[in-house]
Amino acid sequence: MGTENPGRPNFPMRPPPGPFASAPPTMTPFSSSRPTPPSAPPTMTPFSSAGPRPPARFSDQSVPPPPVTSVPPAGGPYQQFPTSLFPSTAQAPPIHAPPQGQPSFQPRASQVSASSVSFLPQSQVPPVPMGSSPQSVNFSPSGVNVPQPPTGSLFSGPRPNIQPTFSPPDSSYSATKSTFQPPFPGYPSKKSAVSQAPSPFPAKQGSFMPPPPAPSSPFSSQQGSYAPPPPVAASLGYQSRGQMQHPSSAPPIGGIQSLTEDFSSLSLASLPGSIDPGCDRRTLPRPLDGDVEPSSFTEMYPMNCNPRYLRLTTSGIPSSQSLASRWHLTLGAVVCPLAEDPEGEEVPVINYISTGIIRCRRCRTYVNPYVTFTDAGRKWRCNICALLNDVPGDYFANLDATGRRIDLDQRPELLKGSVEFVAPTDYMNRPPMPPLYFFLIDVSISAVRSGMIGSSLAQPQMMVVSDLDDIFVPLPDDLLVNLSESRNVVETFLDSLPSMFQDNVNVESAFGPAVKAAFMVMSQLGGKLLIFQNTLPSLGVGRLKLRGDDLRAYGTDKEHLLRLPEGSFYKQMAADLTKYQIGVNVYAFSDKYTDIASLGTLAKYTGGQVYYYPNFQSSIHGEKLRHELARDLTRETAWEAVMRIRCGKGIRCTSYHGNFMLRSTDLLALPTVDCDKAYAVQLSLEETLLTTQTVYFQAVLLYPLSGYTASCGERRIRVHTAAAPVVTDLGEMYRQADTGAIFSLFCRLAIEKTLTNKLEDARNSLQLRIVKALREYRNLYAVQHRLGSRMIYPDSLKFLCSYGLALSKSLPLKGGYADAQLDERCAAGFTMMALPVKRLLKLLYPSLIRIDEYLLKPSAQTDDFKNIMKRLPLVAESLDSRGLYIYDDGFRFVIWFGRMLSPDVAKNLLGADFAAELSKVQSLVNEAILVATRLLNRILLNMLFLFCWFLCISERLRSMLRHDEVVLNSPGSFMFPTQVILTEHDNEMSRRLMRILKKLRESDPSYYQLPYLVRQGEQPKEGLLLLVNLLEDQMGGTSGYVDWIMQIHRQVQQNT
Amino acid sequence: MGDLFIWLISFFILIALLVLIVYQLMCLADLEFDYINPYDSSSRINKVVLPEFILQGFLCVFYLLTGHWVMALLCGPYLYYNVRLYTQKKHLVDVTEIFNMLPREKKQRLFKLGYLVLLLFFSLFWMIWSTLEDMDD
Repeated sequence: MGTENPGRPNFPMRPPPGPFASAPPTMTPFSSSRPTPPSAPPTMTPFSSAGPRPPARFSDQSVPPPPVTSVPPAGGPYQQFPTSLFPSTAQAPPIHAPPQGQPSFQPRASQVSASSVSFLPQSQVPPVPMGSSPQSVNFSPSGVNVPQPPTGSLFSGPRPNIQPTFSPPDSSYSATKSTFQPPFPGYPSKKSAVSQAPSPFPAKQGSFMPPPPAPSSPFSSQQGSYAPPPPVAASLGYQSRGQMQHPSSAPPIGGIQSLTEDFSSLSLASLPGSIDPGCDRRTLPRPLDGDVEPSSFTEMYPMNCNPRYLRLTTSGIPSSQSLASRWHLTLGAVVCPLAEDPEGEEVPVINYISTGIIRCRRCRTYVNPYVTFTDAGRKWRCNICALLNDVPGDYFANLDATGRRIDLDQRPELLKGSVEFVAPTDYMNRPPMPPLYFFLIDVSISAVRSGMIGSSLAQPQMMVVSDLDDIFVPLPDDLLVNLSESRNVVETFLDSLPSMFQDNVNVESAFGPAVKAAFMVMSQLGGKLLIFQNTLPSLGVGRLKLRGDDLRAYGTDKEHLLRLPEGSFYKQMAADLTKYQIGVNVYAFSDKYTDIASLGTLAKYTGGQVYYYPNFQSSIHGEKLRHELARDLTRETAWEAVMRIRCGKGIRCTSYHGNFMLRSTDLLALPTVDCDKAYAVQLSLEETLLTTQTVYFQAVLLYPLSGYTASCGERRIRVHTAAAPVVTDLGEMYRQADTGAIFSLFCRLAIEKTLTNKLEDARNSLQLRIVKALREYRNLYAVQHRLGSRMIYPDSLKFLCSYGLALSKSLPLKGGYADAQLDERCAAGFTMMALPVKRLLKLLYPSLIRIDEYLLKPSAQTDDFKNIMKRLPLVAESLDSRGLYIYDDGFRFVIWFGRMLSPDVAKNLLGADFAAELSKVQSLVNEAILVATRLLNRILLNMLFLFCWFLCISERLRSMLRHDEVVLNSPGSFMFPTQVILTEHDNEMSRRLMRILKKLRESDPSYYQLPYLVRQGEQPKEGLLLLVNLLEDQMGGTSGYVDWIMQIHRQVQQNT
Repeated sequence: MGDLFIWLISFFILIALLVLIVYQLMCLADLEFDYINPYDSSSRINKVVLPEFILQGFLCVFYLLTGHWVMALLCGPYLYYNVRLYTQKKHLVDVTEIFNMLPREKKQRLFKLGYLVLLLFFSLFWMIWSTLEDMDD
């Protein structure tokens, strides 16, 4: 866990337990000091717990604003607290020490540490009130996080449920317990409440408290002792718990180790009621290495195609339908037929035009490494349908003693899982067409203003359709020009384009008729239609209504209709376009609602793609557009392709997911297809029992080759073949599972579900799948092993929960209507439906990299990249205010400047002007801090800072979260106010930064990642760009990682 | 004698409806077995959907006007279902999603088919009944 920054300045600031311990004064001071009206004096206790919490957050700084209500009190109680603590400390000295002393629970202890400790002693008096009303009110949010109330440990009741194995606490424990019980009656109930209720408090910070300073716990290693629960509310009893838990938890651990071979586990056990504490956030599994392709896939069958082309959700195919029905992670595959090959691994091209391509007579399978030759080489048996075929004379070769063909090494198609055949002419119904690009550009006024038209679209054919109700196309042949012949004309036209329309005040857009006209022009040749749209289509057929602004539809049963195309025009148009082999890419540049749901339909069914640039400004987004357009036009593209996936006997493809149109039950029509598109398919068993040992899959893409790089006019057949073993054991299926493929499929299923259901239903069904899968897995082992309250999962699925959380927080699925603009949601949905596995996983769990050390290092080698590319967990505590971080989700960079980052760095990177501005931005907060620094001591500073923070930031962030549709809709108002074009400056540091960015971009060339600069504390920009994306944090009513795991764990345990 | 004609007319309308439904089912089956492409299939189906709805509505009104309210009631659910489909704009098959909708569309039409066959038997029964009564007279 890179999370921990030992050097973090703030850390020290965290109130040490010491102060607390000081005086026993007790509650009275508290109550009086409490400003918050809502809570009665008794309520204080909960608060007090909150009090300590804030400071911790503070130290993180990056943490989202804490709940407003709790703030003010914090200061008061805090100081007073110290006094009371001491007594308690005496009892439980180890507690304070906790961080180091108590292994598994450290986090808990440390988090809570100061405050909680103090409470124990105090609790006797005030607690009673707390437990009941105040807690529930104030902490309800926190409650969410903490599935099991921290206090739970105190209560004997809750504990049993959670941790059966829990051994009886030592005497001291019980004593404490008894004392406390009365106070906390409310807690236990909380458990149930845990679920999803949106919490008023945006942040779940509590749970994030900075990690304990020195937490190496014995347990953490393997099982990741996981006591997920957020410490927040649980102030009391922590310490006592800490002590007790230790002994209790120990026994299970021993058992765990013995089990490790079978499965991985998280000891969620935490103490019964105390879930939170036990969970060591740092040991939770996180996909920090990005996508890991399953090795078993190619190891067992070395002749399989590379997993970048085809991945199965599990490489163990169930042998019976009953077994398949117990596999809840969906049986399926993800195919990326044209995935980019690394240098030197190109797919071999084989020319059999003279002899004809060898295929099975019955099922039309192409010859592949898994066919077997018999009868002295005169026959071959199809591996898919088991039919015995004749070997044509030209292809005949004798077999050697082992039954292998003697010419095997000259036959790549018999050695490699991926080959390309050159197809004879009868494989296509027409000769390959020249690549045709047709640009359809919106010239309404907003397009002109945003500078969209001015950008350099230096590419081929172009035509502007103004608008007509009754579309006719004058001389279609003349409209299309050959680029090489009439380059001058095109360039002149492009140059004149901006001036032609600079006086345009037309706000209307006749999108429908324009597409129809384009369709007429292109229908002869097919090709790629690039649509640049800036406003909502408002004239002629296909005009759309401003339905996205209708707030009444949100949250109702009709909500999903907003994500579906309006009317039938777009679907019909898409079908027609596909029929005539026209692929559509939609480039949408809008500051207002443009109904991407409808426009994107054109791309969805034509194998295209949606690029969405909200609030497009050519000065800012121009570079991005230029790169992505260039990529779109120059990447190797297959035209008029069709794809079919054949499965071995007994297996059937039931449904396909992605951007394409089905031409028959199993034939995908792909007017254009390129390396950035992947398709998912769900499989099912046709027969109740599979009799074979191995199942084969063959994905075949037939396309005429044309484009910039390869020889034009050739037809190619790309064949990917893979084999997977049939297994009879569910455990084996789990062992062979491939998280990347599973989530690729899940993602598409969930997005499709949002088209017919509410967002929440889609998220719930995703969660249900995960729970079912883990429950099934648990049942496998529950009998032999005492699992206690540990959460177990196969090693292959260790990221199931983290990606599950990431997916449910991804743009198409997250939150409610206010959490993302409708257009953004739809655009992201269309994009994710086509993403290959690797990029999808990167988008789901983006990388967060700290780079300031590299920038400052005096002698840095260029090949040092590997060292610095250490991904950090996406939690606020990963961010050190002295650091410089890059957040990279494959679509953009967010460069985060810590508050304490030396100004020189900013100056070097951004130039003097901007650096000054950057520091100005957060002047408000900063000034408050400065004043505070002079006047107050450290602790007080924490409090004050907190206070300022609450006032300045949380207000804004909260209002933003509530009303963001208003804010977001005002173009450019704050979305990226300080957006700067990051240019290289003449110093080493800047050069290094640019090198890093370049390197990162090279790793993912399909999109251009535009850097957004964010300064810590610069709200709400920081919140929008970065903090909401720290998906392990609890934000605005969504659960954090720990809570999510607890939630899942609880559901898994139910009904087992 | 008038009754006989009424039953004859309704008999022919029912036969026409049956033909339309069977035609749609054939298009779907052809699509499933890859004999025609989705474009042709959906356009053929969509061409006859409205005539089917109108004819069925006419039949219902026809029964009502001729005083055979029991038969009109029997037609009611079918009519209601059609009207609901139409108002929700789900009456036409969607060419882009036709493969995903295939099982549902087929099932829907099979139910309609069964329903129409039932009606056909009723009307045959009444036709024979009324001829017999005519002969008795």
